[in-house]
Amino acid sequence: MTWRRRFRGASAGYLLIAPALAATVLFLVIPMVISAYWSLTHYNGIKPPEFVGLQNYLDVLGNARFQKAFENTIAFVILGMGIGPALGLGSALLLDRALRLRGLFRSAFFLPTMTSLVVVATIWKFLYSDAGIINAVLGLFGLPGVNWLSDTTTALPAVVVTSIWQGFGFETVVFLAALQSIPRNYYEAASIDGAGRWAKFRWVTLPGLRPTILFVYVIGIIGSFQTYDQIFVMTNGGPIQATRTIVFDLVDRFNRLDLGGASAVAYILVVFLAVLSYVQLRIGEERD
Amino acid sequence: MIRARRLAAIAAAMAILVGACGGAATTAPSPAPSAPPATDQASAAPSEAASASPAPSIDTTPVTITVWDYYGESTPVKPALAGFQKEYPWITVDYQALDWDSMNQKFTVGVSSGEAPDVATLDMTWIPTLAANGALEDLTAMSGGQLNGKPIADQYTKGALDAMTFGGTFVTMLFDFDTYALYYRADLLEKKGIAVPTTWDELRAAAKKLAESSKGSGKPDRYLYAIRPNTFHFSQFLFEDGGTILNADNSKAAFNSDAGVAAVDIQKAILDDGSGLYWPDANNDLTPAITSGQVAMFSDGPYYMGLLKTGVPAQAGKWKIALNPSVKQPGSYLGGTGLGIPVQAKHKDAAWLFIQYMLRPEQQVGVFTYAGAAPATTAALESPELTKADPYFGGQSPFKVFLDTMATSSHFPYVGAWSEIDTFITESLQSALLGKATAKAALDDAASQTDAALAK
Repeated sequence: MTWRRRFRGASAGYLLIAPALAATVLFLVIPMVISAYWSLTHYNGIKPPEFVGLQNYLDVLGNARFQKAFENTIAFVILGMGIGPALGLGSALLLDRALRLRGLFRSAFFLPTMTSLVVVATIWKFLYSDAGIINAVLGLFGLPGVNWLSDTTTALPAVVVTSIWQGFGFETVVFLAALQSIPRNYYEAASIDGAGRWAKFRWVTLPGLRPTILFVYVIGIIGSFQTYDQIFVMTNGGPIQATRTIVFDLVDRFNRLDLGGASAVAYILVVFLAVLSYVQLRIGEERD
Repeated sequence: MIRARRLAAIAAAMAILVGACGGAATTAPSPAPSAPPATDQASAAPSEAASASPAPSIDTTPVTITVWDYYGESTPVKPALAGFQKEYPWITVDYQALDWDSMNQKFTVGVSSGEAPDVATLDMTWIPTLAANGALEDLTAMSGGQLNGKPIADQYTKGALDAMTFGGTFVTMLFDFDTYALYYRADLLEKKGIAVPTTWDELRAAAKKLAESSKGSGKPDRYLYAIRPNTFHFSQFLFEDGGTILNADNSKAAFNSDAGVAAVDIQKAILDDGSGLYWPDANNDLTPAITSGQVAMFSDGPYYMGLLKTGVPAQAGKWKIALNPSVKQPGSYLGGTGLGIPVQAKHKDAAWLFIQYMLRPEQQVGVFTYAGAAPATTAALESPELTKADPYFGGQSPFKVFLDTMATSSHFPYVGAWSEIDTFITESLQSALLGKATAKAALDDAASQTDAALAK
């Protein structure tokens, strides 16, 4: 009796989530189930799938190119998530003062994030080119130009820089909102206790930001692990696999009509990210 | 009150549903564009069908075929559509222009998702993977060995016929061919008193004499020879030194032979001399480097004639083409564009009619006049359009050079693992030319990966 009344009251809610739920099931859940099936088969999209059990997973994990892609992706994530949120927090702290033009600066920082990643990557590809602006500026200082995207040591960091430039605006906006939600009287209380700027940051700001930092890192790491667009536009996985990422490997397999292998890569990534996110969230909770 | 709220919820839900579907359509990964349903050709067909008099065996029910074309702006396919429509009024062509970069992926997606076109322009280097996966229709069976009323074997050179064959049958019809020759700045060679190189040593010496520094002294940055680390250019040098990519039965790598090492070493030597410009595929085409004068010699195919004319008009009259310098014998890879029908095509007979139409001499000449590329059928190659003097190339008839190269070119091995092997070779080239490994070590590494891929 109570259940039915509760349902009737909530029916408006169910109706509202129905479209999103339908879309999620249709475009996410069903493909995921199909993909899981494909990952257990050899399938090229033309002939019927042939069940092979976990063979694809073993092949992928043992494949040297996939391992290199995994390493590259980890390097990418460490560099990107090490620097990006720090830049985001730094710029948010600067913007947190009562600046008159704060809105303008905030939009300026967020503009790259609103721009398509492919567009940003294309522009940076021009900047990095042999005759591009970066080498020209180096030339002004008498320094030799660098083959940013064709040198195996500089290619990955170069792509990371592009990604950070494009993405840290998101963290700026998120941190700025979070900073403004920390009660001001905490800072006043800290001042009364004789805390300096650094102490205030360490004992008031950071703890107040902890849930936001956790959010930024969980979302950011998941996003970073899926890097593909910039790689495709700027280096196509090269030079010599230096910028090959997990998703790039996935798409490569797909292009070779190895749908089973591509699905296996996808699931390996999903499981890895699920475990990683779980660990992050547990660490985040335990601290509290 | 509750009723109003529920009504509002329903209205909002409908709005979100419509929005989500629209949004999902744009955010969901885009599958191959679906062919529009065959609509009302019946309105146009009756009177014209009566006057067109098709052969009695051809089915003339109105049909729409989807054609995917990657030629871009200078396509020879689009101008041919009007004529095709006139001759086959019951066939409507849904023409879709894609670009070369995305065609392979889109075709693969289309084929594996069942949304395949009826005809597509396919780069010949994609044929091994597609054919090995059973994606291409057997054209020998479809055609009965006949093209436009004559045997296919009479209309192509032996090399071309070989390139169109996979597993004993034709899987594609060669539409334009691609082989490499040497493009060089004739004006600069003349000014500096350099003879056109015919051997590798002469090429290296010529490159050295040509290269100069724009600042007067220091590292040369002008009039260099383009060194491109990809399988197309590697195989050129490899074949010229008598090497092959795989062994006779395509079971093991053979490109790490002495010939292969020599092929890499000569390119590295030119780079080390300072007379070469390292130009990876990621940099796209050479025209910016040619326009700026960075490059004065390079090897490439017939379609570069068109690229130069449209992209570097200022250098008209300064370029000429010659046979690529060789060591043991002339050699080049043979590639190009093939017209193919996917196995899931819905209107294969009409598609075959379209392909035959595009292979008639009039349309084949269009390959040259529109795209500046080389038509593949022998009839077209002998037409006067293609053998007349070209002012851009100083009055030379450049086509004749490419004709000569076609006779000595060979296509890449037709094995299912070809695209992987191509990647292994390309990476080993980059590794060796960037000085990260010796040529032998890099090629051996690629060879062992190739052997593993072939064994699977």
